Amino acid sequence: MLESLQHSALASAISNSLWLTAGLSALHVVGFSLVSGGALVSNLRLLGVLFRERPIAEIAGPTRRGMAIGLLLSAITGALLFVPRARAASGNEFFQLKMTLLVGAVLMQFVVQRRLLDVRPDAPAFRIAGAIGLALWIGVGLAGCAFILLE
Amino acid sequence: MTLLDLCQRLEASSIGLLVRESTWGFQIVVALHLMGLVASVGTLCWFDLRLLGLSMTGNRISDVYRRLAPWMLTGFACMFVTGGMLFIGYATDAVGNTYFRLKLLAILGAGINAAVYHFVTERHRAEWDAAARPPGAVRLAGGISLSLWLLVILSGRMISYTMF
Repeated sequence: MLESLQHSALASAISNSLWLTAGLSALHVVGFSLVSGGALVSNLRLLGVLFRERPIAEIAGPTRRGMAIGLLLSAITGALLFVPRARAASGNEFFQLKMTLLVGAVLMQFVVQRRLLDVRPDAPAFRIAGAIGLALWIGVGLAGCAFILLE
Repeated sequence: MTLLDLCQRLEASSIGLLVRESTWGFQIVVALHLMGLVASVGTLCWFDLRLLGLSMTGNRISDVYRRLAPWMLTGFACMFVTGGMLFIGYATDAVGNTYFRLKLLAILGAGINAAVYHFVTERHRAEWDAAARPPGAVRLAGGISLSLWLLVILSGRMISYTMF
């Protein structure tokens, strides 16, 4: 399946055009900036480091929306960048690590932390969630760097 | 000394050699450059969104700035150091690269926009600091900032596709 993806017309169109590949990559970095910046601000709030006297929801809401937009952009551009090198990428351990950490980070950000806001436990729970969230997103970024810089 | 001479001297320096010829120098500097992007532009866009009246409007603009400033400034310091190192390593190619020039112009523009905001627009801050929807000049500063940094990121990424 990955082979056929790699040999598809879409794959050829992307890999044959330097501008398309470069443009997709550039937009991927834009999405990454939006996601990571939002992740930094929201998880630092959970850790009680930033905006600590503001209600968590006041920070978590806007950052979650910004991150959702950034994720959409990164996911679409990432998928299109993946297509022409599907087999090589999926076999790459840094890519696998990045995707695994990404799933974890998204679950933590959009599911677990969201639920915590409804349940409203004590501060330590939020701090732990913030620390794990931050670590996961940093992990995604570093794994992504390793994937493109060390291939 | 011509520009070319200067570039070649920079490339021959120890930093230049570190970036270009060491085993992990380039990768580490680029990774730090990307991490710095998160801390700098990644946090700045939240201040710009506040200026635009689109986010965290329950907070005073000066408050948002004050809290994000340490992260933004540290991030930008990291960007300039790592960016400077990358430039030193590839100075000759960089100065001739259209996207590098565009990137620098956009950064300069963003700096001018920030200076105008901080030294001119902000003088009347007391009137609109708590406003959920700030006046036009303030929103314009936020919009220009986001647009220019978007241009910086896009042109920055294009450099590596057109330089090597």
